[in-house]
Amino acid sequence: MATERAGYPGEEGRDNRVFLALLALTLVGFLFAWSVSGVQGTKSFSGSSRQKYPGRKPVVFWHMWTANWKDTVEDICARFNESQTEYEVIPLSVPGQASDSKFLLAVAGGDPPDCMAQWNPVIPKWAESKLLVPLDRFMTPDEWADFRKTAYPVAQKIGMYRGNLYGVTTGLNIWACYARIDALKAAGLLPGSGADGGPFPDEIATEADLRRFQKAFPDTLERLVEWGRKLHVYDDNGNLTRMGFMPQWFAMYAPAFGGGFYDWQTGRVLLNTPENLRALTCLADCRKELGFDKVVRFESSLTTTFGADWPFVSGRYAIVVDGQWRVEQLKKYAPDLKYGTAPIPPPAGGCTNAGWSNGNFMIVPVGAKQPQGAWEFIKFWAGLSDPERAAEFYTWGGWLPLNDRIANAAIYRKYVAEHPQFQTFLDILPSPNISPTPPVPYQVYLFDRIQRADDSAMRGTLTPQEALDRLAREMDEELARRKEYEHGR
Amino acid sequence: MRRGWVGYAFIAPWLIGFLVFVAGPFVASIYLSFTRYEVVTPPEWVGTANYERLLSQDPLFWKSLWITIRYALVAVPLGIVAGVGLALLLNLEIRGISVYRTVFFLPSIVPMVASCVVFVWLLNPQIGLVNSVLRLFGVEGPAWLNKEPWAFWSLVLMSLWAIGGSMIIYLAGLKDVPDTLYEAAMIDGAGLWQRTRHVTIPLLTPVIFFNLIMGIIGAFQYFAQAYIMTQGGPEDSTTFYALYLFNRAWRYLDMGYASAMAWVLFVLIMGITALIFKTHRKWVHYGH
Repeated sequence: MATERAGYPGEEGRDNRVFLALLALTLVGFLFAWSVSGVQGTKSFSGSSRQKYPGRKPVVFWHMWTANWKDTVEDICARFNESQTEYEVIPLSVPGQASDSKFLLAVAGGDPPDCMAQWNPVIPKWAESKLLVPLDRFMTPDEWADFRKTAYPVAQKIGMYRGNLYGVTTGLNIWACYARIDALKAAGLLPGSGADGGPFPDEIATEADLRRFQKAFPDTLERLVEWGRKLHVYDDNGNLTRMGFMPQWFAMYAPAFGGGFYDWQTGRVLLNTPENLRALTCLADCRKELGFDKVVRFESSLTTTFGADWPFVSGRYAIVVDGQWRVEQLKKYAPDLKYGTAPIPPPAGGCTNAGWSNGNFMIVPVGAKQPQGAWEFIKFWAGLSDPERAAEFYTWGGWLPLNDRIANAAIYRKYVAEHPQFQTFLDILPSPNISPTPPVPYQVYLFDRIQRADDSAMRGTLTPQEALDRLAREMDEELARRKEYEHGR
Repeated sequence: MRRGWVGYAFIAPWLIGFLVFVAGPFVASIYLSFTRYEVVTPPEWVGTANYERLLSQDPLFWKSLWITIRYALVAVPLGIVAGVGLALLLNLEIRGISVYRTVFFLPSIVPMVASCVVFVWLLNPQIGLVNSVLRLFGVEGPAWLNKEPWAFWSLVLMSLWAIGGSMIIYLAGLKDVPDTLYEAAMIDGAGLWQRTRHVTIPLLTPVIFFNLIMGIIGAFQYFAQAYIMTQGGPEDSTTFYALYLFNRAWRYLDMGYASAMAWVLFVLIMGITALIFKTHRKWVHYGH
């Protein structure tokens, strides 16, 4: 080879030029193919090829539901498409944890969906980064005033950031106590006769039954913990086989003690407060009494918490705090289970109907091609345009609505009559004492550190005061670095 | 050279992919580590603030670094000892040895996520196989993955599950040891232990050296098991460096800070690797 090259002195240079040319050609070809696929992607993304109603403006809608939930969502989209002539909503399921990063990349790439259904705590961060369109800009002043007046406080807390509405809830989550009537009766906790003198119902078949049950249910957390002690069941080795009741989850109980993590009037994050300390101390004391190790072993022996496998169904819990979606699941998977629901009772002198909440909400990204169409769809689903019609959608998913108009719609009342335990959640829903995680741009970090403080206090590695001190210190450091004092504290 | 460009042309798609998806982000992350970059907003230059905070004000950085170093110090030597020991056993000429080799290699080809899920069940404190066996001997096992310090040691224990990969390399190394050396040693009166100590191990050191380097790099990048099995808990006791980095980058969208963390990790790995390379002449024998 060396001899050959010696005979053709310019060949190496030519080789290099050819190589570079070929490389450039490949690069161009690659970029061309990429851009073409991108264009095609955009075409299919905008939905023109998947449109059922050609000629209408496509509204691309991302959501995170799968399986049966996906069908429900698609049914709602179909109903919207049937309801009018200008837009067509094209749903796309983008499940999993990657949905957020896909959304961010789509917005950054200039090709976002027109709207998205979310339940992750994204509004403060994304709104702060100007990725979301304020939805109040689509409302007339009267509509905005009406929304502020009628939407439940928690729906507004979840959807708003710095005075603007960025998310409209289409399903709120509220937690309350579920109690097995058989366990309560066996422990002699429910009297043989109802408060009004009649026999105590074996099952909750009507709202009147529910009220009677709630009247007998403890009205303070202290009494409920006392009930829990009587309902714990142990095996011969001293292992817990049924948990009667034990309060856990700092974020859920702090508001009942008058605490919480945010002053909604001043926008201050609250961490190391006497009320939060009282809450954390109470939870830690309850855990200590039962034994951390015992609780860990008990909880790890449970299989899953989904559907028919929910340990409450198999009797591993006598009283447990969970969300409203369990009512629908119990009807489906355990129709013979007799149970009642009641709000989490506050500690003596505490706040009633208090707790933590989250929910599903709809957002519109900056760069959406059909923001008006997206808004029409949001109004349709959420029930801002026609509460009676939207009430039906809420019953499909067992979702909690965002205002009384939907909750009082005939079809929704019929659903509640068929699921009387659901009424408990509707009772709690309008409460001003229900709050989501504070709407600050570092919401996820704050949530994680609150859980960490909770964990340390429950394990007894830190006292509740030490756990709160550390939480406050961590957040101070984080805020100092992020230079977000102006809206963080 | 005439044919060289044809080869380059064929690998051009890979080269372009490497430049765009690996080299580009790699270089970009140097710049990003000096910025406040939250993915959804343009990067904002903050100088060395990320590095300063990492080193002086972030206890979780030091904690995660210490957890990772501790893991490297324990799991890597343990893996080498177990891998070499296993390879020595599987190097014996006994009946059905190829079946044994296959059996011991199999776990290393089981997907990581599947292995993790299996171990979560094995180590379940109430209904797991490990504690059930311990109970037969009257011992109540700990809540492995839910209690400090057991969660960390559970992950160390689990690291032995996949030593089949390194074991195969050791086995190949053993096959390369010339029989003549063993024969000479035997003529000189060396017993089994002396042959292992003075012939096998020295000639296996190049392979051990390779696995040590790869093991340390792997230990400093340890992520998937902790992410799947413990999510960094309990109480951050299994928050490995890479897991903390990932959370910073994708959970908190704190990409500038995470980039700084990545560069600290890079420098650390390079430093340790260089140190081992520097010492290797003293203990690695190439048989000449």
